[in-house]
Amino acid sequence: MKMVWRFLDTGPLPAANNMALDKVILNSLRCGQASNTLRFLEFSPPCALVGYHQAVELEVEEEYCHQQGIEINRRITGGGNLYLDEGQIGWEIFAHKETRGIPRNSEDMCRLMCEGVVIGLAKLGVEARFRPKNEIEVQGRKISGAGGTEMGNAFLYQGTLLIDFDVDTMIKCLKLPINKFDDQQIQTFRRRVICLREILGNLPPIPVIKRSLADGFAESFKIHLEPGDLTQNEKLLWEKELPRFQSEEWIRGKRPKLQGSSLSVVDWKTRGGFIRVSVLLDPTRHRIKSAVITGDFLAHPESSILDLEAAIKDSSSHPSDILKTLRHFFAVNHIRISGVEPEDFHQALCLAISKAGDGQGQPLEDAGRMEAKFP
Amino acid sequence: MAMGHRRVPEGLLYDRNHYWVKVAGREASIGLSAHGQHTIGDILYLELVSPGAMIRKGEGFGSIESSKWVGALIAPVTGVVLDTNREVEASPGQINVDPYGQGWILRIELSDIDELKLLMKATAYRQWVEEQINREHQEEGAI
Repeated sequence: MKMVWRFLDTGPLPAANNMALDKVILNSLRCGQASNTLRFLEFSPPCALVGYHQAVELEVEEEYCHQQGIEINRRITGGGNLYLDEGQIGWEIFAHKETRGIPRNSEDMCRLMCEGVVIGLAKLGVEARFRPKNEIEVQGRKISGAGGTEMGNAFLYQGTLLIDFDVDTMIKCLKLPINKFDDQQIQTFRRRVICLREILGNLPPIPVIKRSLADGFAESFKIHLEPGDLTQNEKLLWEKELPRFQSEEWIRGKRPKLQGSSLSVVDWKTRGGFIRVSVLLDPTRHRIKSAVITGDFLAHPESSILDLEAAIKDSSSHPSDILKTLRHFFAVNHIRISGVEPEDFHQALCLAISKAGDGQGQPLEDAGRMEAKFP
Repeated sequence: MAMGHRRVPEGLLYDRNHYWVKVAGREASIGLSAHGQHTIGDILYLELVSPGAMIRKGEGFGSIESSKWVGALIAPVTGVVLDTNREVEASPGQINVDPYGQGWILRIELSDIDELKLLMKATAYRQWVEEQINREHQEEGAI
């Protein structure tokens, strides 16, 4: 007999309300006052969200957001900055850790959570796949990202699905690994994400999309979803928690002291063409926060460079670690790029990291470019 | 257990949340076991309570993030924090690299020595981890 999970569709809400409700439902599950739950959520007004451990000032273009009425808030889950407007759907799984079949390993868990979205998209005729560490991609381009957290014996895994997305506003309101004065880089970045409208042309009605996703999760977890509502206790606690999630203390936290953010762009010439590497580095924690790799080389498989960007995101910026990551990635994924070796990417990344880490990294909007030639 | 991520050194005490405790008189160092850090994955962020704070067995003393996952750090014993590992706070990946050495998390003054009796010695912990791994393998495919 299939396990019954609660199904909630809480509709459009301000960011703080959604963030507070995440904590409330998670707590409810921890206390044994609710069953495993699938929630769909939407945001209105639009918002920029940072991950639990991120610093707002390093991730969000605050002035632009204030001018445009875009809310800023902090998630209780991990992961990076993101922009959500009214057209997107968020999905959340609240479950007990002991739920049969839930992996203990966080990476395996993420793969399982994303599987429901992949199945749901297939029901809409969209072929999607999970891309480590936490993304779902279509045609090599990101359509959903995910992150999670835990409280006692309960966990929350959440993600977003881009339905009809305004990429230009996202580029303006988030700090990203691109020079925003460089049209070519902006074009390149636009091609890194994709939404359902772009794939399908005509969008199915939102209820149809939600139904497909819900069916995808039900199939993936082998569960029956029962439409439900918040309990009385959840409603009371939600009201009580809301002021905290609206406060500057929550949104800003105290995190910048052990973080940094520096962008640098490097061109590296190889036998097979030039590589342009744009790296957003956290020099304090020695991490590549994210990177965008472009150039005039020909990569096979075609999506391999986007997969490579995902593989080095949030990875160590130590040269030996980067080389290890690159060699492993090329070997496992059978990447072939005529005239370009893993070592070329290594050189380009190390040069960009060195530039950013030496204090040569510039404020994001002013990021310059350094050129180097293959000997 | 030959694999590095299942290494369980003798002389330390362990709990079921995969923390190790190294006792020296009334003081103890605390860190994550090799299996614990392996389960968590590549650690990106670590946020700890400050020196002077009281941590209580079974309650949170900070947060940890890996693979977009934020987890709570749960104290294996009760005590007052004497020192936190600032290098690990700035570079949490050190826990993955050297969980029993440079990756130590904090040092406390123990409030209740008797709590140590509730922790497992290396042999018992090793056996418990094996049981957990076997159980998880059996559950694979259940969903």
